Amino acid sequence: MARFNVEHTQNVEVSKKFPCEKSPDRQLEVMEQYTAVHCSCTGMPKELREIACLRVLYPALFRSIMSNDRIAGRIDFLPIGFGSVTSEGGVGHYCVFKKLAAFRDKLEAADRKRVDVLYDYWLDHDVKTLFNKDILTDDTIGMFIDCEYPMIATARLSGMMLDYPKLLGKGIGGLRREIEKGLLEQPGNSFYEAGLACLDLFVACATHLQQDALQQMKTADDKRRKELQTIYDGLENIKEDRPETFHEALQLIWLYALLAGVINYGRLDDYLGPYLAADLETGRLTDEEAYSYVHSLWTLIENRRTTVNGRVIVGGKGRKHPKEADVFLHYAMRVARNCRYVEPQFTLRFDKDTSEEIWDAALDALGAGATYPTLYNDDVNVPAVAFGMRIDEQTAEQYVPFGCTEFVIQGQSTGTPNICINLLKLLTIFMNEGIDPVDGKYKAGKASVKKPEEYHSFEDFYNGYKALLDHYLDLSVETQYYSYQLMNKEVGFLFNSLLTDDCIARGKTLLDGGVRYLGGTNETYGNINTSDSLWVIKDLVFERKKYTLRQLHDAMLADFVGYDALRKDCLSCDKYGNDLDTADGMANDLYEFVAKGVRDRGIRIGMQYFLIVISNNQLNTEWGNRTAASPDGRLSGMYMNPANNPQGGANVSGPTALLNSLTTFDPRYHGGSVQNIKFTPAMFNENRALIKQLFHTYFNKGGCHLMVTVVDKGVLEDAMQHPENYPDLIVRVSGFSAVFVDLSPNIQEELLSRVLYDGDHP
Amino acid sequence: MMVTILEIERFAIHDGPGIRTVVFLQGCPLRCSWCSNPESQQQKTQLLYLENRCTACGNCFNVCPHGAIRWEEGRPVFNRLQCVGCQTCSASCLQNAIRFAGKQMSVAAIMDVVRRDKEYYQTSGGGVTFSGGEAFMQADALIALLENCRAEGLHTAVETCGHVPPQQIRRALPWVDLFLFDIKHTDKTKLKQFTGADMDLILRNLHYIASHSPEKIILRTPVIPSFNNDISFMQSLFDLALETGIQTVHLLPYHTLGTDKYRQMGLAYPYPHITPLTKEDLLSYKQIGEERGIKNIHI
Repeated sequence: MARFNVEHTQNVEVSKKFPCEKSPDRQLEVMEQYTAVHCSCTGMPKELREIACLRVLYPALFRSIMSNDRIAGRIDFLPIGFGSVTSEGGVGHYCVFKKLAAFRDKLEAADRKRVDVLYDYWLDHDVKTLFNKDILTDDTIGMFIDCEYPMIATARLSGMMLDYPKLLGKGIGGLRREIEKGLLEQPGNSFYEAGLACLDLFVACATHLQQDALQQMKTADDKRRKELQTIYDGLENIKEDRPETFHEALQLIWLYALLAGVINYGRLDDYLGPYLAADLETGRLTDEEAYSYVHSLWTLIENRRTTVNGRVIVGGKGRKHPKEADVFLHYAMRVARNCRYVEPQFTLRFDKDTSEEIWDAALDALGAGATYPTLYNDDVNVPAVAFGMRIDEQTAEQYVPFGCTEFVIQGQSTGTPNICINLLKLLTIFMNEGIDPVDGKYKAGKASVKKPEEYHSFEDFYNGYKALLDHYLDLSVETQYYSYQLMNKEVGFLFNSLLTDDCIARGKTLLDGGVRYLGGTNETYGNINTSDSLWVIKDLVFERKKYTLRQLHDAMLADFVGYDALRKDCLSCDKYGNDLDTADGMANDLYEFVAKGVRDRGIRIGMQYFLIVISNNQLNTEWGNRTAASPDGRLSGMYMNPANNPQGGANVSGPTALLNSLTTFDPRYHGGSVQNIKFTPAMFNENRALIKQLFHTYFNKGGCHLMVTVVDKGVLEDAMQHPENYPDLIVRVSGFSAVFVDLSPNIQEELLSRVLYDGDHP
Repeated sequence: MMVTILEIERFAIHDGPGIRTVVFLQGCPLRCSWCSNPESQQQKTQLLYLENRCTACGNCFNVCPHGAIRWEEGRPVFNRLQCVGCQTCSASCLQNAIRFAGKQMSVAAIMDVVRRDKEYYQTSGGGVTFSGGEAFMQADALIALLENCRAEGLHTAVETCGHVPPQQIRRALPWVDLFLFDIKHTDKTKLKQFTGADMDLILRNLHYIASHSPEKIILRTPVIPSFNNDISFMQSLFDLALETGIQTVHLLPYHTLGTDKYRQMGLAYPYPHITPLTKEDLLSYKQIGEERGIKNIHI
């Protein structure tokens, strides 16, 4: 077993969460109770154990309704509990040891001992730690997020998008009847039994929130009292019946998502639009009230502060209620433009039939600096998803991006990225005979590596590197698959399973054979630095023969100190992002090798799909900080390129060239790929018609996605100096948006390095 | 056929309609004293020295095979007459403090670049613009490029100062969809004094094109303080437009973005240092032109 630090940071957490509402005493009590129940249920079916544990947490962990909430439901997370993802609590039965240790430090000595008991218990039971014990090695696979390793792995169930249309259509009562029917056919099925108990728990939580609303009505003014009454009535109605109003529909899905620990919300326009449109039509809601509801939802999502999730998707192919959906879409567009929150990650899917009106609203929001909506091209993505995931196009129309961009099929698949690979770190390791120049450790595993002198052609060199990649790609698929096996052993993810096809039909939780499409994703990093590096090696070493591979390698080991001329030559080689067949061709070749290699392995192991995602959070910077100098001229410790974009500053041929480069890759082999472009406000807003045509052309040419930041460079620089003046300056990091001043300085610098397109000639 | 070009700019949105690629050809017959691209005036490759980047390492001085660099007071001094543009010095400069303006490209290679944004032109009503310097200084190459563009269905524009042999204009006319025709002044003496141009030649060319296709012309005027920034010139400019049937006039406010380049070329900025104009400064001219009946006046 590898040595690892259980208190390592487990996920990216830029947005800070609200402090817990409960007293430390109460928190400790709940954690002890949870632990006791977990312990006493040893040996029980995992489903029954899970619901027993959930009953400890809920409704106990609900926060009080806040004065601007139009629907009820806020939750606290403790260092011990149950969850699906690392950004809210943890995974399965979890203990976040770092947070538990911090909690312990605030207690009196006597209470600290109580915490120590919990800490020790969970060392043997925290799902993620169990996974880590089985999987991590000392030299190849590290834990999330340990940047010393070329590959990192975790167990989590990220990006679930539940079948909310089903929930809305059936209501809790309808769902209950469906499970009861299953139970008749399979008496004693633990999933069904626990599932029914989940619905009881839902009702209990609704009742709990009703009491809070009643309590608050006593001191509220007239207006608020009416709102609280509506909340109270809505909660009552959704305990059994299908929702009748927009309010009830929102309340139902919101409360359910909270209990499921799900932090992405799917195609809200399509399933909430009909309720909203009907309420507006009948006069149950005024325009102002409708806006206020959507605004309240945005605030509730923002307040969960998951940093990289909170996806809300509007538009696109395959909507059942396009007309009503567009009503919601336009409210969402206005709210996104006005709020300027970092979450929800407001996402517009579009195709050739999307109206100019929607485009204009989207560009207005972007031009105002909202960084949203982020744009997904269905004309490209639907057929690509169909191929990549091996499903029909009609099913593929229900693809939804979550997190930093990974695709899942709403209500039908899992797509969690439990693996990340740093391709560039692997290249530096490969060139250094298997030893990572950063720490001197051997990390090539079982792959064979040779001395630089032993490669006599570029193909020879490239094949050697590919062999190392093969070794890691094998590890990646085995590890991803094992994460599912281990989680399945421990938990059922009951609330998720109830709204995922075909769990109820099969009587199985989702990782137990219930989910229709067991998919997964593999995040690749440093893609472009690696392909640019390969191009340098091909061009400078093997074709022009200006340097030997040894000379280049020596320069890298010296971080180019004393090799200024060599580094200049490296930097002068063609770079991806300039619409050049040379560098873009190399990028595509590497992409095809990695993307197909991952996909083929997923199919072989028995998954529906396992696809790379070229997404990004701040890991390109953090991992870059622990990656040695590379042949593309990048210095040791420098950030790596973000997602599918060039290294900051490498694209010097204008936006059309950049966009052409971005369309290089066959979208059928990835499960999401992020493209960024940055404009100054003057450029974007004074040339709106041309910008729109620029985007349209890019998408017509096969662009799958685009995220747009409109910002003045001077503003970012000033914000680094005077953060106090820019509390709400939002920037797109790549896979997510963030308040600029919340980011660490090295990530701010990476953002500043990215080319900003302005209208003036240089 | 080889062409000496300054650069190719993609996603150009100021030189003709839509999204365009502008090919800047090297060489110009005029010497406008406010010129913001002095490195484009001669057809020869020009050495630019960015002194603020220089660390005085001496590499350039040591490697120059033509003795065109002296070392004086700890700095390189460039003899540009002796420089043949071999670029050995810039290759050796680790700070990128030396760069060369002007490079040779074949017509085919230029077309390879131009072609890459074809879809963007089509969507936006854009195309290709040939500018300079003065595009007609390399007339044969220009016409070859225009023919190639036409064959590929690309919209073509040529920016010209008009100070070119009339037969070249006649040759090019069938291949050009739009002329961005510079009219810098209507006073012969002043024009000669500030730019070296012969106004009769310019007007002859303008009238020739206008007599065939006035809709193919946009008049462009850089509005330069102490030269043509006055109502009487503007009135005469609008007279010219009305007389020739030209409906579109672009007024470009004077800017000083090119001043650094003079220093980089070892030259003094020939125009007095004057505060740049803003778009707002030209609004009154726009109003006058519109009142006179000119349809499109852009600033």
